[in-house]
Amino acid sequence: MHMADALLSPAVGMAMNVVSAATIGVSVAKVSKNEISEKLVPIMGVSGALVFAGQMINFTIPATGSSGHIGGGILLAGLLGGIPAFLSITVVLIIQCLFFADGGLLALGSNIFNLGVIPCLFVYPLIFKPLLKKTTSNKMLSLASILSVVIALELGAFFVVMQTLFSRIAELPFNVFITLMLPIHLVIGIIEGLITAAILSFVYKMRPEIVDYSTQNEQTKSVSIRNLTIALAAMAIVVGGVFSLFASTQPDGLEWAIGRTTEQVYGEEVELEAEGSVYDTASSIQEKTAFLPDYSFASDTDNSIGTSLSGIIGAAITFALASGTGFVITFAKKRSKEKWNVSA
Amino acid sequence: MSAHNARVHELRALDTLSAGQTAIHRLHPLAKLICTMTIVICTVSFGPYDFIRLVPYLFYPFIMMSIAELPYRLLLSRVLIALPFCLFAGISNVIFNRSIALTIGSMNISFGVLSLFTILLKMYLCVMAALLLVATTPFTELTTQLRWMRIPYIFVMVFEMTYRYIAVLLEEAYSMTTAYRLRSGSKKAIEMRHMGSFVGQMLLRGFDRAERVYTAMACRGYSLKHIPFAKRKMTGVDFAFLSAVFISCVLIRVINLR
Repeated sequence: MHMADALLSPAVGMAMNVVSAATIGVSVAKVSKNEISEKLVPIMGVSGALVFAGQMINFTIPATGSSGHIGGGILLAGLLGGIPAFLSITVVLIIQCLFFADGGLLALGSNIFNLGVIPCLFVYPLIFKPLLKKTTSNKMLSLASILSVVIALELGAFFVVMQTLFSRIAELPFNVFITLMLPIHLVIGIIEGLITAAILSFVYKMRPEIVDYSTQNEQTKSVSIRNLTIALAAMAIVVGGVFSLFASTQPDGLEWAIGRTTEQVYGEEVELEAEGSVYDTASSIQEKTAFLPDYSFASDTDNSIGTSLSGIIGAAITFALASGTGFVITFAKKRSKEKWNVSA
Repeated sequence: MSAHNARVHELRALDTLSAGQTAIHRLHPLAKLICTMTIVICTVSFGPYDFIRLVPYLFYPFIMMSIAELPYRLLLSRVLIALPFCLFAGISNVIFNRSIALTIGSMNISFGVLSLFTILLKMYLCVMAALLLVATTPFTELTTQLRWMRIPYIFVMVFEMTYRYIAVLLEEAYSMTTAYRLRSGSKKAIEMRHMGSFVGQMLLRGFDRAERVYTAMACRGYSLKHIPFAKRKMTGVDFAFLSAVFISCVLIRVINLR
């Protein structure tokens, strides 16, 4: 489940971006220290690309007739170790965001956290690895995979709900949202867990050295999970707090911020739309020529949202102007190209 | 497998578009990156019912698309991918918030409907901003910019490799599924009990390929730490573009014409 820009507030989005960026920084530093880092890079790259390819393969879910596809976090962690897997997943999410419109730039931090940090850096070392410490028998592998994937997905879904709620864009009540999200992800998790187990048991049988390989990558890690959790939580709270100060002490955070900046520069609070002879002339011209002066008919000036009929007409005109400008430019470009072709 | 072809086609389409020669393509990637982030942050910072105040931002995608000669339809189809989750959240607002926001003629529009449209417009603007960036900036320029921004070399390298290998591995996945289909009496999808060995094989092939790639690169003197990249300075045009977009974005955000 990818989080979208449109459902996030800047405070939550930026807080998650900072948290994820810091985690990436620490992970990169850890991988760089690894002696085999140069060899690891192509493997991480190919693994990321494999997640894409894997998502393209549909499989039938028995007795339902519907189809699903593989996810990735726990699978990659089982093959590469937690930290390299986290970096691979991060790259996959960035590419999905930029090239496939899945997620968004502001939501990137949230997605990296929900789908990368949780499975690779929390669930994998805390659940998957301890379960497989003694034996990698098929039964144990299945148990560890299903449990890890389900927990990772449920936690991810839980964080999607929390991020959406904290952003206060969607008005779905918490209990409704959570009762919708968690059961769906439980079903998905069980199926994905079964497939992850099947893939891992096949690979472990064919190339037993991969198990050692992933654990060897893990050994270079010295950050304790507890410290990591505390650090991430503290960062999220601080950044989120700072940004929500902007967002909530004033109804309009950015305006307030700009007001403060101009106040610092000019010594007093200056409204950006403020006076000046040029401004007055401009606004008087604007008032005379405006089709919809001040965006509202005189009768409903006290409309608190300002989305009266005139507002909607104004929006429609703006839309027409914007798309019209686009068409005019396209048309003009075509014409000039045709001219060139004729003269050539 | 049409889904497969569609994905490969999508990826290649953006690659082809980004190799264009228009004025927008020639702009410095850093300028475009900052503009994209400005648009996204300005858009997202609006309240849930500010539909009308968001509309002026539509100038950006429309003007950019026309100057950069990008096909409207292709980008629009890409935007639709982001639709389901936003629609889900938006429609839930329609259900849970029915207090009337405004009345047009005899039609009542609730806050929920208003916020649904605001979410959809925000989604369109944010997704388009990101798509416009990658559709007008060649991938190598993007990663060069990341290197210049001191993003760790390992990370940029993994980014480059993943991107380059997606098309290759999609081909491989495609040929494997075709083989499976031909031998299984034209089954539509792979049975779940075969998934383990199927994807497992693909992974092993992928790892072998990565080994070969690494060896080949090492033979040619590849070293992670010293990757030369051409530095490019921002010109006056870049600064003009950047300041024009930045100032108009902030003005639209701050000035309330209501």
